[in-house]
Amino acid sequence: MKPAGWLDRRILVTVGTGGVGKTTVAAALGLAGARAGKSVLVMTIDPARRLADALGTGALDHVPREVPRERLREAGVAGEGTLAAMMLDTKRTFDELVERFAADPASRERIFANPIYRNLTDALGGSREYSAMEKLRQVHVEGGYDLIVLDTPPASHALDFLDAPRRLAGFLESQFLTTLLHPAAVVGRASLRLFRSGSELVLKGLERITGLEFLTAISEFLLAMEEMLGGFSERAHEVARLLRDPSCGFVLVSGPDLQQAKSAETFWLRLQAEGIALVGLVLNRVHVWPGAGEPPADDDGEVERAIAWLTRALGEAAPDLDAPASASALVAATRAQAALALRDASVRERLEKALPLPAEAVRAVPLFGEDVHELAALGRMVGMIFAERGDA
Amino acid sequence: MTDLIAQLLARRLLLVTGKGGTGKTSVAAALGRLAADTGVKTLVVELGHASVLPDLLCEGPPRATGEPRRDPLRAAPNLFTLRLIPEDALLEYLELQIRVRALARGIVGNAGFKRFLEAAPGWRELITLGKLWHLVTREDSRGAPVWPLIVIDAPATGHGLSLLSAPKVILDTVRLGPLRRNTDLVQALLTDAARTAVLIVSLLEELPVNETLELSARIRELGLALGPVIANGVEPPLDLRDAERVLGMVAKLDAAGAPSPLVDPVTLCASARYRLARARMQAGHLVRLEREFGVAPIALPWLARGVDDPTGVAALARSLEAELARSRAEVGA
Repeated sequence: MKPAGWLDRRILVTVGTGGVGKTTVAAALGLAGARAGKSVLVMTIDPARRLADALGTGALDHVPREVPRERLREAGVAGEGTLAAMMLDTKRTFDELVERFAADPASRERIFANPIYRNLTDALGGSREYSAMEKLRQVHVEGGYDLIVLDTPPASHALDFLDAPRRLAGFLESQFLTTLLHPAAVVGRASLRLFRSGSELVLKGLERITGLEFLTAISEFLLAMEEMLGGFSERAHEVARLLRDPSCGFVLVSGPDLQQAKSAETFWLRLQAEGIALVGLVLNRVHVWPGAGEPPADDDGEVERAIAWLTRALGEAAPDLDAPASASALVAATRAQAALALRDASVRERLEKALPLPAEAVRAVPLFGEDVHELAALGRMVGMIFAERGDA
Repeated sequence: MTDLIAQLLARRLLLVTGKGGTGKTSVAAALGRLAADTGVKTLVVELGHASVLPDLLCEGPPRATGEPRRDPLRAAPNLFTLRLIPEDALLEYLELQIRVRALARGIVGNAGFKRFLEAAPGWRELITLGKLWHLVTREDSRGAPVWPLIVIDAPATGHGLSLLSAPKVILDTVRLGPLRRNTDLVQALLTDAARTAVLIVSLLEELPVNETLELSARIRELGLALGPVIANGVEPPLDLRDAERVLGMVAKLDAAGAPSPLVDPVTLCASARYRLARARMQAGHLVRLEREFGVAPIALPWLARGVDDPTGVAALARSLEAELARSRAEVGA
């Protein structure tokens, strides 16, 4: 069975903890879409240049870059499918929003010059998540792609990006902001007294800590942004709806490590709580047992017999060889492989139990001996994810 | 030049970061374990809501040393752990600053303020650093530091950089007031090479090494001192002479005679070739790190038993100790 319906979605979002190969899986899903004849955009947050080199797009940046047709052919895209890739740029995304929603050039320049804005979009946590979601919404609305694959920011901060739109909307609609904005701390200390009791208390407390100057800078920033807030808030709600639409599917990526599996389970609980559909799990970097049947459990007697047999066989084949040393090294390698394959199988079993996915929606990709950064290797990965089950 | 262990343990704050999935938490725990075993009273701090360190460090049931969620747990002799939650630290900070507990709780409990906090970027980073500064500078009645060494299991690259660059944002924006004064102190601690160093954990694979190189440049730009780079999960090489010739012979063996699947010719060749390829790839990235940093990274072995408990952490700490002892790296170089 093939993983049904993944490529029928309009949006696929890869989620998972850091280091499990999310970006590579996102690229492989994109390539699979192109092979199926779709026009695909992969949005990544990962600045890994090798991936861009492999795709032949040149350095990825804020605008979609098409993978050249001849590279696509090499990667098995026979038909009309196309593949473009872009890297999310937080600062540029925010700047575009300001460009678009600022009332006039003067207020636009005021926002760009505000020190809080300059730093907010650059360095501070959370803005990356906002901008990833905003860019997804924008590209989706503009259309032009059959499938958008979003590679989410890696996060032990788990699913911050899911909350980002809602948190932003909540903040923008809150009384606190209105209080901060309208009597305007810009006017000075005296006006702070006019605030209603609850928020007044809060602001007074904050003022003691941050100083009036900081509150003023925030107020100026917010006043400058106010005209755009309607736009921001509406968009945040739109993204929240989009992520829960049936045309959007989440693909969970995990490694075969116990800690990674536990993170994947946490992700699943969060997705479920958020009302978001999980279409599948890619268990990446799995150690496969190259032999027929199950890998043998470790057993001292069996290891001894195996080494003795191999020593004799190698000694007969080449009398000049240090057969005992070679046999020990070789059997050590297969024992290690068996142990890893058994461990990975148990983690897979655990995840299959924990996640309510049909068997064909759980796909294992073996750990390659080398890095997966050329298009050919990416093509092999597509083969693994979309192959008939039972081979991996 | 004193040895690298002494150089590291002479610092007050060691931040362990790197790409997600490289084993930062295990390395931070092992570093704490090593320091504690060397006789330095050490506090290992994890950030955010996940709690892993007690499982990695506590040999028995952890013991509280003060208020829960505010004061560290005692994990072992000389070894303490703390989970630093920004919301709790904020309340603590407000209490310290405003000196009226009810007012501080009033602020934190205010519904509007809560929504503001949920959306407002940056404050988590600031308050986290503020609490770390507070821990570093706390002194006992004789004026000695309460926590001579603090090891931080810091967030992965992106959020890690957000954390380390947060003070600069405030310093660019705020010129006066307690927030400015506090941030000045925090920034002075972070950029003081005598007190603070950052250790980057990497795997010997393409993406983690790329990220390590970019991350190290950004950390230097921020004015922080870099400790040694740690290459984690280094797999044992296949100790097989004349590998190609031997594998050629193995391929020709009669599978029917093999007494175990362990010596099936196909399995033997595939396993050995896999291991050879992995070792070749890892060696290549090791060389790359050495070339970029001018000194070999600290290579920690992949541990088959995993690093999920105090025994695993102790094993990793022994490897760390041996590797640090023979390294030519210097902190801040």
